[in-house]
Amino acid sequence: MKKVLVVDDSLSVARQLEKIIAESGDFTCVGHAKNGAEAIKMNHTENPDFICMDMNMPGMDGLTALRTLSVMDKEVKVVMVTSLGGVGDKFTEALKLGAKNVISKPFEAGDVLRILREL
Amino acid sequence: MAVKFFGQFLIEQGIVSGEALLKAIDLQEKNNLKFGEMAVAMELVTPAEIQRAHNAQMSKDMKLGDLLVEMGFLTADQMNDVFTRQKSTHLYIGEALVQAGALTDDALLKQLDAFKADQAEYVSDGIELPFTSASNHIWEMTADLTYKMITRVLDLRFRSGKCSLATVIPPNYMLVAMDLSGDVEARYLISVSEGLLKTIARVILGEESVDDEPAEVLEDTVMEFVNVVCGNVAAKASQAGVIININPPVTLHPPASGLPIPDGHTALSFPIHIEDDDTMEMILLIKG
Repeated sequence: MKKVLVVDDSLSVARQLEKIIAESGDFTCVGHAKNGAEAIKMNHTENPDFICMDMNMPGMDGLTALRTLSVMDKEVKVVMVTSLGGVGDKFTEALKLGAKNVISKPFEAGDVLRILREL
Repeated sequence: MAVKFFGQFLIEQGIVSGEALLKAIDLQEKNNLKFGEMAVAMELVTPAEIQRAHNAQMSKDMKLGDLLVEMGFLTADQMNDVFTRQKSTHLYIGEALVQAGALTDDALLKQLDAFKADQAEYVSDGIELPFTSASNHIWEMTADLTYKMITRVLDLRFRSGKCSLATVIPPNYMLVAMDLSGDVEARYLISVSEGLLKTIARVILGEESVDDEPAEVLEDTVMEFVNVVCGNVAAKASQAGVIININPPVTLHPPASGLPIPDGHTALSFPIHIEDDDTMEMILLIKG
């Protein structure tokens, strides 16, 4: 099973994503980080294959964490999950910083799993 | 489904790769000159004059073109000529993808039609506001997207009430606020009753009962709803060239007398009548 780390300051979004991942049959959720700094620590301790990460979080935001993760870990694949996905500049910046894709909120379970399976 | 821009739609549909999109964006960045770059390219101003105007912008909140006119480096007609040239030479993302070899002309037209169909749900309906400002189209769109997301995300049946100017933010069980900055300065608020809070939590968490959930989780569901609405407002505004930044949402528990309207702000109230006689309210506190 591929391991997924969820990074979102919202408890409800984390619950939604954890449920989608748990019911997928081919992914397992290895934890929930509430900001970018926690994500970097948990990437080190949990060694996930994929990270689903929000952009807009208090403390270290998602794009800052993505910039750090891209340098520190060339293996992990990051997908941004954000309500700002439709803002062209944000979408482009995420791709330039190494995100594999961007999922806009609100999302459907099928879209999240399709994108993770395509990575 | 959310508000998207065309490049994002094409990646989601598997029509182009992320690498192809970045190549096309690179072409756009090389082709689509900023105002100062275009004015220099048209030999209307020198790079040194642009630098002086940029320095002046540190202490004056003015757009570069207006400042160049004020400083006597450009005439108003020349400023308009620069805008016209920027518009007439603008390379759109679809055209850039064709130039980059990622799409054919025929495929571009077909995908533009598919994109319009995908985004038809988010075409704004007219909403009447009781005041006039240069950003009215943004506030109308904000209300419209809120209504659409109540249907799309919360799956609630409702009737929107008439928008009015408010003198106080009325009391309710809780409010969630999100500050908007950038080209507009405003605070977006959603006010809900205790019953509606549980209804929203049940839908967002996908649970039949939320009676055992801590208050923190219940409140978070409304915060996430506000985050989704405002993120999509920012996306829709960016399509119109308006930059809106969003900040993490916060919760407020107003006293029985309600909350006062801060000085220098206009408050717009949008009542939302949910079935079963429950009421939600959207409030916009607009600076200026």
